[in-house]
Amino acid sequence: MSDHDPLRDLWAGQETGNFVMPLEDVRRKARGFQKTIRRRNMTEYAASALVIALFGWTAITVPEPIVRAGCFLIIFGALYICWKLYGLARSASGAEMDAAQNLMTFHRAELLRQRAALASVWRWYLLPFVPGMAVFLGGVSFAPDNPAPLAVKLVIFLFAAMLVAALFYGVWWLNQRAVKALDGEIAALEGAGEDQPVDS
Amino acid sequence: MKPVFDQDQRYLEAAEAHGGALQRLARAMEAHPERRRDLLQEMHVALWRSLAKFDGRCSLKTWVYRVAHNVASTHVGREVRRNRGLVGEDAIGPVVAADNPVTDYEREDALERLNAWIRALKPADRQVMTLYLEELDAPAIAEITGFTPGAVTTRISRLKARLAEDFRENADV
Repeated sequence: MSDHDPLRDLWAGQETGNFVMPLEDVRRKARGFQKTIRRRNMTEYAASALVIALFGWTAITVPEPIVRAGCFLIIFGALYICWKLYGLARSASGAEMDAAQNLMTFHRAELLRQRAALASVWRWYLLPFVPGMAVFLGGVSFAPDNPAPLAVKLVIFLFAAMLVAALFYGVWWLNQRAVKALDGEIAALEGAGEDQPVDS
Repeated sequence: MKPVFDQDQRYLEAAEAHGGALQRLARAMEAHPERRRDLLQEMHVALWRSLAKFDGRCSLKTWVYRVAHNVASTHVGREVRRNRGLVGEDAIGPVVAADNPVTDYEREDALERLNAWIRALKPADRQVMTLYLEELDAPAIAEITGFTPGAVTTRISRLKARLAEDFRENADV
């Protein structure tokens, strides 16, 4: 490896220009990155705020107690998700500060962190909405002032529940697909550090 | 405010000593000039931020390469997800034989093809190859990447063989 390699001469001799970043620019950009992260987090919180506002308004305006109970449960679910998102965002910015770890450690930790968040999406992102949605749909479908026969009410409830279930399944499936892709990356990374020749 | 002073001083020292290596790395990782500049700025900002925690357990050089490669690798991963910035191996043409006298144009052309070849590699290979080209030895590359020195040596041998083969194939076309 210590042999003279003309490629190294070619590489070292390339014209790189004169890139200089004054300290003030570095500090300004560093503040800019923090703002970008905050803005991204705010977008995620805004979606939860919208859900809370919508179901909060419904809870206030609809007199039916079961529907109102469903709305409050959905709001609690959205608040729980905000709390989990806050924890994930904190963990991500913590990972940024470990940037000087070696590549294997840094990327393995990053991939495992992403994998954990995606693999458990049903638990922290979907499940919190399930009790609220079930009670809300039940309250709407079986409302006492609805003159429809019980069988029709049941069909409406099941149809709505299936739509929500299909939506939840879609979210879960997309995340599981991402988990499989991450598993491949993690396996490749773990194999990469071994002494044996690795196929490319 | 001594810590801030230390951080700034270390950054200036690192940028002065290793700025060229960061530019070569950015060029190898990102083909698009504007995104390359963004990547370079991102490396410098990450380096400055990280130096607040520099504890001297490794050399400044190792620290700089680790930060720069982690930023570059994250950038490439992000670009791959956006389906852009990737250059396939079909973009590689023949590199001018190293023992031939070359003009500046030919040299630049050869560099572009070498960088395109590096961009088409898998992330781990890309990192090892660029560190090898920066004249780091196997133990130093191992310290930066976390691979064993043996794995680094094996990987470099394989990459050099593949490089020679790929360029020979393209030259024959």
